[in-house]
Amino acid sequence: MFSEVSAPQEGSCSLLLCRPGSEDQEPSVFDRVKPAYSPCSERFKLGERSFNRQYAHIYATRLMQMSPLLTERAQQKWGADVRIRKLCDLQMGEQCCIVGTLFKHMELQPSILKEISEEHNLLPQPPRTRYISESDELILEDELQRIKLEGNIDVDKFVTGSVIAIYGAEKNDGKFTVDDFCTADLPPQAPRTTLSSDRFVLLLSGLGLGGSHADSMLALQLLVDMVTGHLGDQGEQSGASTISRVLLAGNLLSQSTQDKDASTKAKYLTKKTQAGTVDAMRLLDEMLMQLVSSVPVDVMPGQYDPTNYTLPQQPLHHCMFPLSSSYPTLQLASNPHQATLDGVRILGTSGQNVKDIQKYSSMDSHLEILENTLRLRHLAPTAPDTLGCYPFYLKDPFILEECPHVYFSGNAPSYQAKRITGAEGQEVLLVAIPEFSSTQTACLVNLRTLECEPIRFSSFSAGDDEESEMNISH
Amino acid sequence: MVPPQCVYFRMLYHYLDQKRKEGSARLHATYLVSGKFVENGTTSHKVSVVREDQLEDAKSKMSLTVSVHVYSVQKAVLKDSGPLYSADYDAVKENLRNCSRYSAIRCADAVPRSSAEVQQACETTQAPPPETEQIKANHSNLASKPTSKQPKGIMGMFANKNVSKNQDSSKEIKLEQKEVTPVVETSKTKPAPKTNPVTNFFAKQAAKKPDKSIKEEVEIAQTSSSVDEKPTSPPPKAETPVKEELAKDAVVEKDTSKTKRLEHSDSEEEKNESRRKKRRRIKKPEPDSSDDEVIPDSPPQLQEKRDPSPSPEIQVKKEPVAVSHSDELSDCKRRKRRRVLKSRTFVDDEGCIVTEKDYESESYSETEDDFKFSQPTPKNPNPPKPSTGKKEEEKKSKKAAAASNKSTKQASIMGFFQKK
Repeated sequence: MFSEVSAPQEGSCSLLLCRPGSEDQEPSVFDRVKPAYSPCSERFKLGERSFNRQYAHIYATRLMQMSPLLTERAQQKWGADVRIRKLCDLQMGEQCCIVGTLFKHMELQPSILKEISEEHNLLPQPPRTRYISESDELILEDELQRIKLEGNIDVDKFVTGSVIAIYGAEKNDGKFTVDDFCTADLPPQAPRTTLSSDRFVLLLSGLGLGGSHADSMLALQLLVDMVTGHLGDQGEQSGASTISRVLLAGNLLSQSTQDKDASTKAKYLTKKTQAGTVDAMRLLDEMLMQLVSSVPVDVMPGQYDPTNYTLPQQPLHHCMFPLSSSYPTLQLASNPHQATLDGVRILGTSGQNVKDIQKYSSMDSHLEILENTLRLRHLAPTAPDTLGCYPFYLKDPFILEECPHVYFSGNAPSYQAKRITGAEGQEVLLVAIPEFSSTQTACLVNLRTLECEPIRFSSFSAGDDEESEMNISH
Repeated sequence: MVPPQCVYFRMLYHYLDQKRKEGSARLHATYLVSGKFVENGTTSHKVSVVREDQLEDAKSKMSLTVSVHVYSVQKAVLKDSGPLYSADYDAVKENLRNCSRYSAIRCADAVPRSSAEVQQACETTQAPPPETEQIKANHSNLASKPTSKQPKGIMGMFANKNVSKNQDSSKEIKLEQKEVTPVVETSKTKPAPKTNPVTNFFAKQAAKKPDKSIKEEVEIAQTSSSVDEKPTSPPPKAETPVKEELAKDAVVEKDTSKTKRLEHSDSEEEKNESRRKKRRRIKKPEPDSSDDEVIPDSPPQLQEKRDPSPSPEIQVKKEPVAVSHSDELSDCKRRKRRRVLKSRTFVDDEGCIVTEKDYESESYSETEDDFKFSQPTPKNPNPPKPSTGKKEEEKKSKKAAAASNKSTKQASIMGFFQKK
């Protein structure tokens, strides 16, 4: 744990509560550990973009890429002699296995066609937190046909776009009765190199700069100071020097910087006003400047950051960081982001995929959803149905081909971490990074042991006189 | 050997201690406590800033205290940690460049690159956005501008001929020059601000090139246009050089502007086109009427004797011309020159005061349009009266002048033939 690493050797904590002595004439500094870093997120970088294509091609490639994996899994699970049928070849009453993409039909799902249709006379629906209902249905689609599913399958747990294999039979009424199902499960994992000493990666998300509530600014400054070695005593600073990298996972700017009025207000009113994001980006640049002068930083964009909306979000442009972009330690990354750090593969998103699945399923815990996506072997199954996505047609880059060692998602409401083991011995650390602006908590991942520890920064406020400040979460 | 931070914290503690021993000032301190904290079964590393009175409490809650030191010293009791942040923010902002100098941790990689390296990195890693491509295309355009400007401009003119809807206004060639100069001047000022959004998109080095090249081209355009102005002044029908010159200006505006500004330049171009068009259209009737009228009219006017026979013809000609002019005049909304019937009073060489009415060029603006138009028309029927004697001439001219003066205030029948 980080605390043990930073614990003072002599055991006396009042080392700093004394006069400066004569031995302080020669200051010593710690060297930041330098890990072997290589980014592997080329698949998420888009070059020339053309939006002339339909989205159906993504589903076609997704199915094409995943069906051999699923047939293999099905054979492993239900025996090598299980019949795998296409939907067009289904026989009545025959026990077989079908592979296809799930489609969840939800009544409450907002549909633009319904809204503009005159015969329905519907008013635009207000956004809800959840769009599931009792009457949802699951439908399996393959290349040619689709069939309704019923039976031993929990409709609430699945979302549109997941590719699964189903074992069951078709009954008389044209529906497929499910006995069992299986997902693609974890992909193969490359073994990671064992490290000799502790190395940490700081995962951080949801800074919320430029927001109206500046509660977490001091906590953020404390974090920056701690990581750069301005705080704490000797032990702590040596501990801070073992933080080899900082990863900012999205939502660096607050949601309040998104000015929705800009599109509706008249131009002559908004001509001289600066966008809210300008000041916020300046704050971010100054903060990054402090960080990059001491530690390598990966910056991923999030839902409220000035980059494109559709996944994969492209890296923030370097022109927005005039101060910090001159440092080679600043790495502007895409969302999702993948990198290898000292042989440990780290993959994650800024949380949009998890939040979207949360809206369309009954799962609440970000960690549970994260595990689900890993087992489905797909980062964002709801893209492009309800989550904005670029119209890929050659390849679906969200399919996980190699199992990561650390799999994270940002902007979770609270900190959660779990270690799971795959069928073939894969070990993955799942981390749901909490939103810093509300929890003032960041995550420290130990690359040697694949363990995660939250780190909290707190300050005091006027309301702390009666209650202990430990109990208040800002 | 201890890290520099420790020295600072110790100094701060020492200062606080001393001041308290002296008892001179009531100082309050905030402490930083960090350590292991167990909450609900999960251990976390906690770093917190606490007030002095909360210090022991905080320390006791931690299962393992890693470090405690003085965070800040202030005179008043802090209720809220907000001022700590604002003070820190100001301090950090001042020392942004050397923030790693006083740190206890050195990172070997964190060395700022020079601007040349940064630019190289940008060029290799960035896919060229469409703006840079467009700007590069503009650069190549600028380079080849002197050669291709003229045919481009003329062809552009002919292409846009049918586009412009505004119909002419009366101008002379001298006036064209005067108008050309303001147009040229505006075009000169326009490329200068237009380069600013262009340069903002670039790194600084790259920006110098478009700046220089644009300025050079503008200078070339300037010199060429000024050179062209002089040869156009003597010949009355020097349409083509003027066209070229204005076409160059239009092209300069086009090439140096970004997409947004293109709209402005287009409207500006259209204005130029319409002006040129107006000039062109006027020139055609003008050579027919004015050249014949001006030259023969002025010698007889200078002479004493007016020739009555050609004058009614001329006046009649002038009338429809004036009507047609004024019809077209009323449509334009800028400062223009037009021919107005005015009476000139002079002493001829016999010592008699003669009042002559004649068309003269005069500049006016839109508001005076209707007003002045009523003036020439009542004057017209008066002068064509044949006069035999000088005195009769005088009288009649005086009468005519007097009559015309009175009749300006009456409504004219020509009001029916005005704007339709």
